[in-house]
Amino acid sequence: MTHCRHFGLNTCYMDDIDAMFSDLLGEMDLLTQSLGVETLPPEPPSSSSKEMNFSMGFADMNVESLNELEENDLDALMADLMADLNDTEEKLGGQKEAEAPHTDLPPASHGFSFYPESSLSTPTSPERGPNTFSAPLADSPAPILSPPTLPQHAKLSMEEIEAQMKADKIKLALEKLKEAKVKKLVVKVVMHDGSSKTLMVDERQTVRDVLDNLFEKTHCDCNVDWSLSETNPELQLERGFEEHENLVDPLSAWTRDSENKVLFQERPDKYEVFKNPQNFYLWKKDKKTIKDMKDRDKELLVEENFCGTSIIVPDLEGVLYLREDGKKSWKQRLFLLRASGIYYVPKGKSKTSRDLVCFVQFDNVNVYYGKEFKNKYKAPTDFCFVLKHPQIQKESQYIKYLCCDDAWTMNLWVTGIRIAKYGKSLYENYKTSMKKAAITTAWTNRTAGTTSIPSTPSPTTKAKASGQANGHAPQPPAEPVAKVGNAPPPPPPMLPTQILPPPPPDPVLPPPPPPLANKKSPPATSVPRQLPSLPTSFPPSPTSMANLPPPPPSLSQDDSSESPPDFLPPPPPTLGFGPGAGSLPPPPPVSFLPPPPPDPGFPLPPPPPDPAFCPVTNRDSLPAPPPRQSNIGAGAPPPPPPPPSASAGLQSTPSVRRTGPPPPKRTTPPLAAPGGGDFMSELAKAMAKKRGNQ
Amino acid sequence: MAAWDLSVAVEDLGADAPPITVSVTSDLHIGGVILKLVEKSQVKRDWSDHALWWEQKQQWLLRTAWTLEKCGIQADAGLIFMPQHKPLRLGLPNGLNLRLRVCFSGTVFRTVLGICKMLNIRRPEELSLLRPVEEKKRKKVRDLSEELYDLTEVPLTSVSRPCLYNGMPAHFADSPKTEKVYKMLSVSQPAPAPEAIAKLYHPASVVDKAHIHSRWLDSSRSLMEQGVQENDRLWLRFKYYCFHDLEPKYDAVRLTQMYEQARWAILLEDIDCTEEEMLLFGAIQYHINKLSLSEPQTMTSSPAMDDLDSALQCLEVKLDGANSSPQDMLENLTAPELNDYLKIFRPKRLTLKGYKQYWFKFKDASISYYKSKEESLGEPIQQINLKGCEAAPDVNVAGQKFCIKLLIPAPEGMNEVYLRCENEEQYSSWMAACRLASKGKSLADSSFQSEVQSIRSFLAMQQTNPNTHTDDSMSINTHSLVSPRYSKKYKTKQLTPRILEAYQNVAQLSLTDALLRFLQIWQALPDFGISLVVVRFKGSRKDEVLGITPNRLIRIDLGVGEVVKTWRYNNMRQWNVNWDIRQVAIEFDGNVNIAFSCVTADCKIVHEFIGGYIFMSTRSREQSDTLNEELFHKLTGGHEAL
Repeated sequence: MTHCRHFGLNTCYMDDIDAMFSDLLGEMDLLTQSLGVETLPPEPPSSSSKEMNFSMGFADMNVESLNELEENDLDALMADLMADLNDTEEKLGGQKEAEAPHTDLPPASHGFSFYPESSLSTPTSPERGPNTFSAPLADSPAPILSPPTLPQHAKLSMEEIEAQMKADKIKLALEKLKEAKVKKLVVKVVMHDGSSKTLMVDERQTVRDVLDNLFEKTHCDCNVDWSLSETNPELQLERGFEEHENLVDPLSAWTRDSENKVLFQERPDKYEVFKNPQNFYLWKKDKKTIKDMKDRDKELLVEENFCGTSIIVPDLEGVLYLREDGKKSWKQRLFLLRASGIYYVPKGKSKTSRDLVCFVQFDNVNVYYGKEFKNKYKAPTDFCFVLKHPQIQKESQYIKYLCCDDAWTMNLWVTGIRIAKYGKSLYENYKTSMKKAAITTAWTNRTAGTTSIPSTPSPTTKAKASGQANGHAPQPPAEPVAKVGNAPPPPPPMLPTQILPPPPPDPVLPPPPPPLANKKSPPATSVPRQLPSLPTSFPPSPTSMANLPPPPPSLSQDDSSESPPDFLPPPPPTLGFGPGAGSLPPPPPVSFLPPPPPDPGFPLPPPPPDPAFCPVTNRDSLPAPPPRQSNIGAGAPPPPPPPPSASAGLQSTPSVRRTGPPPPKRTTPPLAAPGGGDFMSELAKAMAKKRGNQ
Repeated sequence: MAAWDLSVAVEDLGADAPPITVSVTSDLHIGGVILKLVEKSQVKRDWSDHALWWEQKQQWLLRTAWTLEKCGIQADAGLIFMPQHKPLRLGLPNGLNLRLRVCFSGTVFRTVLGICKMLNIRRPEELSLLRPVEEKKRKKVRDLSEELYDLTEVPLTSVSRPCLYNGMPAHFADSPKTEKVYKMLSVSQPAPAPEAIAKLYHPASVVDKAHIHSRWLDSSRSLMEQGVQENDRLWLRFKYYCFHDLEPKYDAVRLTQMYEQARWAILLEDIDCTEEEMLLFGAIQYHINKLSLSEPQTMTSSPAMDDLDSALQCLEVKLDGANSSPQDMLENLTAPELNDYLKIFRPKRLTLKGYKQYWFKFKDASISYYKSKEESLGEPIQQINLKGCEAAPDVNVAGQKFCIKLLIPAPEGMNEVYLRCENEEQYSSWMAACRLASKGKSLADSSFQSEVQSIRSFLAMQQTNPNTHTDDSMSINTHSLVSPRYSKKYKTKQLTPRILEAYQNVAQLSLTDALLRFLQIWQALPDFGISLVVVRFKGSRKDEVLGITPNRLIRIDLGVGEVVKTWRYNNMRQWNVNWDIRQVAIEFDGNVNIAFSCVTADCKIVHEFIGGYIFMSTRSREQSDTLNEELFHKLTGGHEAL
């Protein structure tokens, strides 16, 4: 892996972009290929098949938007791509780790040196969400096993070994296939100052995740009003995304030639209902009562309406103007909001529930603010809102236009509809945002006070990594960490060299931390590398850390998105091939490597768990480590004690979420291993629970 | 002190037996009287539950240390020596009657605690007892079914901590009979016949609704003191509409009874809802009925067992997976599909064209169609992505018409497409696929089969012609799922597809989730939790309605039904009851004072409602499981509590 190639990113022209991408894809493939690289010359055929997977992955990319990119976006974009690349590497890295002879500690090559990092960081794929933990654990069996078993392995029949390897590779290929199916979009976000940033967003990311990314990239105060919204110039609509939505979903509804934009801005209306619930729930009361509302009473209102067994929707009723289908006229009607939808009172009927006629239910529509409808549609006022299916992007009879007398009424209705539609999620989102905002403030204060960044080192990074895995629920501690992690892989290239013997040329670095990247491969990760011999290393001891240069403080501040291309991972030498040739990825070549003794130091990067059971694992995974360990004890060398804090692996404290600790391992054939860990732990958990119950 | 004769009737000796006369002095305490009485009766048995009831004064003599003089008892006092616990016929929220032994001497609040403990209902302070609405006719018919459930044999002492045995409280597990009672309590009842719903009393006006609340018993006095006799009928109902700490794991009975109460409130139009809401309620009821019939065992298997089972199952699956060849794994990654000849019709295009037949392929979340099967390897004529679409049935079983109406969102609007299937089989699978696809799920989704099943069962329901009665226990008359108003408004043919449509949104729910969803929608109704009382405000000449809710009081105009004013409890400074003129006076922040006298209910009931809700709101904060009974009485007791 000594060979490396640089992309002349900064100099490339628009027209080249496609070519560049395909090139890059090829590179990624090669990297993923690296499985075999250490020991064997890579076999071209296999690689080509893999490459194909990747091209599939990117097929979904919004090419149009790519073309519109400005030059300076490219860096950021590349960074994102690299992050992706990294992910794949992580997986491979883990695998490789496992295969590498236990003793070869000073890694032979650079490529090696960074694997650990990757193993540290959690795999991106299917498991987003809290189950971070379980994933690494699941893998563990294989690695542990191997050191001791290696010799034994040798005794085993060659066929067995081969079969196992084969199975490994197939697994890997399948994983990549899955990963490749993840849809990703390149999104240009217009910032509040009119500038723009480009991000890569994959379909599993929630708006919250993307906001977190943007917080890292900009230096805003992270208050709860920051939001992402979409505009539709053709229909003159605007809507703030809710934080639990997956950003890719609404964006996929845009047409190819869409003028729509994503904005990053502060929207005070976003959570106004939680700050001043009386305006929404007591709107009938006189102004003075509302204004003089005590904080305690406000809290109580929120509690009453959002914390009960059922969410209470503000009971709105009032005369609104409705745009008649097809006609240019607006007609007044008395509308009522209920949890089940918007209703109107038909002519000559009463307001009693049974007489109400359903105007719209919320399952299939979103609510949008209309801009300047007075001009466009001859609306009575400019305070209009619209209900439509998110897919509809152009004028249509299926869009419902409503117009209010004043801005306040409009806000009341739009918020009321959001409460009815999203219910508890809205409140959950708000709470998450609050936490985030609070932590950020605390953190900035703290960093401002002490300049010593070294203290943040690896534990935090690890935390960061696991946080990522945890996915959308941004945990409090994650924030501070994020900054550090974010730091563009600082003097990265150098680091490895200093520490590790064979310093192959620069390339190996952890790619620049683009949004995705930071989370996935924290720069500081090189640390774990050092610890292979100390299985229990979990929070890396300060001493071990000591020899690592702490990420330079200044860097951490840096906007990572802009990190220079220099850090690109070196493409594996010989295996060059064009982008996306084949259609289905053939299983990786069978003949590859002898079963690699796993390095006990790291958990294997978990093969991306089957999405199907992720949900299960994430809930159950926590307690799992101890029981498992006991299982293991028998056959294998004393497994490293599970990291103490690991089991806590909840989201809350930085110390808790750690990725790195080598999970205790079991003696299982690798094939079964990845999944096996999971259900063993589930099983153990269930048993424990049962015992508890009795 | 002079001794005198006191005669006491002993209930257990029978109504005809002469009273026992004991010789007492005025300084003898009540305990002493009882002792003499028991000795003289010469009956050897456990008398520990017995106490003296003073007939004329309608009061219990429970303080055994008090002397006769202190109690004011003289020779002419008519005393009865009787057990404090007697059987009562209790009407449950689910409409069934249960006979059980309850305390007639403690406060009703206490009595309800006892009942709830016996029935395993947590948070008993939310319930209370009320006198039933009189039913004049059909009484005899009722009596037959009434005695089905009997818990009087269960010894009171055995009802202690709810330790589970076989998934039910131990005192239910004693005999098959009591097990049956528990099942009745914890599993929702099948849908009633539409005729039965129509026959039951339902309040027609606001005043009718207000009258219901005049029936609540006084929580601070005992049953005997309120004239309730042995074997009388009372209703047990949730009275305070703030359900604290609902935990399906422990609340099987509570949840079920709450659902039953909500369901009846909706079926009897006790609470108003819109047509759309009614259909959704109907759909959830259907779903709950179905689940309760098909998995009656869920209640008895413990959650831990479930976990273990599922973990084991998971293990099996994974092991299987591990053994399967890579080839299989690859195949698993490719989703299943549906392929068939169907007819398509797109109203927007040249309208006269009508249905045209093509070869259809359903894969992932989209439909593609080709000229013929042979060409299905090439490019489809069109591919339609169904994600986010609306799929509605357009079915007439009798006319053998099985169409799926699809509203497919596109940037330009919604495209209308009709697919026509040949028969039920085909329709069920394709409709299920469309439904899943509209939610972004593929055919590989595990819910596909159950979706197909439920569509079939709904089709079957449409076949059930009211004239030709089929005795299929699974088929439900959809008219029994909605209130009489909607029963009258729609024919089965119209009602069933609409319920089916609403059903799609709830079909995936588990039994518990379905119950919770029903309750949530109920609680989200604007009129939820409002208990009405007709009152007359001070200074006003006409009757008005006072609505009492968990967090506020509402003044409602009786004529129009409009809300005139609301006052929130958390602005309330104090409230007083003038027991002499039976007037409630309340002071709110900002010098707002209101006073009213109660027309349809005693002011004690109103007082208890307000105090009760304030008591309920104190619970959430303290978080403790112990019930502060003293505080409850302080807030609701009125002058008697002091």
